[in-house]
Amino acid sequence: MKRNTIVIGITLLILAGFGWAGWANWMYRKQAAEHALASASHAELIPAAPGDVPEGGASLTGKPVPNFTLEDLSGNKVSLASYKGKPLLINFWATWCGPCKIETPWLVDLQNEYGSKGLQIIGISTEGDDLKPEDKDGWAHDKAAIAKFVKEEHMQYPVLINGDSLATEYGGLDAMPTSVYVDKDGKVVAMQLGISSKDDMEAHIRKAMGEGQ
Amino acid sequence: MIAPTSPNRLHAFGALVLAAGAAFGQQDSMTSPPRQSVLKSQAVEYLYPEQVSVPSGKATLVTLHFRIQQNLHINSHTPRAEYLIPTVFSIPDTSGVKLANATYPAGSDFALPSDPDQKLSVYTGDFTIQAKLVSTPGNHLVEAKLRYQACDQTQCLPPKTITVPIDVIGK
Repeated sequence: MKRNTIVIGITLLILAGFGWAGWANWMYRKQAAEHALASASHAELIPAAPGDVPEGGASLTGKPVPNFTLEDLSGNKVSLASYKGKPLLINFWATWCGPCKIETPWLVDLQNEYGSKGLQIIGISTEGDDLKPEDKDGWAHDKAAIAKFVKEEHMQYPVLINGDSLATEYGGLDAMPTSVYVDKDGKVVAMQLGISSKDDMEAHIRKAMGEGQ
Repeated sequence: MIAPTSPNRLHAFGALVLAAGAAFGQQDSMTSPPRQSVLKSQAVEYLYPEQVSVPSGKATLVTLHFRIQQNLHINSHTPRAEYLIPTVFSIPDTSGVKLANATYPAGSDFALPSDPDQKLSVYTGDFTIQAKLVSTPGNHLVEAKLRYQACDQTQCLPPKTITVPIDVIGK
């Protein structure tokens, strides 16, 4: 009888312990699930630090810059290979992009300042509309908007179109602006998703030029 | 000396241990936040109504509710700069329902940290569009469209057009 009482007592204690642990665990999971849900609905396009992996694509930092041939606004084909041996800033931008509009004057200034030292900035319009080659009206509309932007912003560096066609090679290009910094050996030294500051851009340029390392 | 525990008691104890273990084991799967690609996710979601009844042939005001993901904004219907893409609601001509008029909310002032002096006109959070619909008699599964362009504080997503499905019953 006494033994049964002890066994029942121990069993009840264990049951109570499990009951408490289960309740505590349920509460913890409930709170954590609410927190996770809140986090999931909290959208922010977090700018990548230099060298970070852009959303939807692999980081290019440390790798050879992918080659391409695109047209400029006059229809001339321009190959990246023609800039071999130069430090580059390849800036993907779009006419509808507010942050691009803000950073473009910085790029104009930086080209003026570092162009004589060999830097070449290349702007690539990436409108995100995935136009088909036969969509003449669409291309005409895009080109007119790009030309207007280039004129208004006094962009003196080469501007190419149809950056959308480079999305796979350049890490997705899911959001604008995206800047890729390339050294004179053709290696990507930094990749920046989103606008940062003119000072940051200048620091990356100096790195691409082999200064301040 | 305590007598050996009977097999039934052992089974009951084992079941308890297993049950408790299973309860603890669920923790990881419950608490891991759902993995999502923000850049690929939809910035604007249509909330309601899914179905409206309107008198046929008569312009009827319907309030459409939308939600923008937290920390994103979209341009209002009347952005302050020409290069920015406005938010526009439309209904395809072939749907049996015409959009007589759409009234958009006024945008809120918003400035990017990198250019605090330039005020943008944007929508954030929940917003509504007052659409005046004119329906022919019958049931119309309307695939209306909302075109917008979303950004956060440092970067912008490409312009997008989402489908706004509304079952319009013209009576």
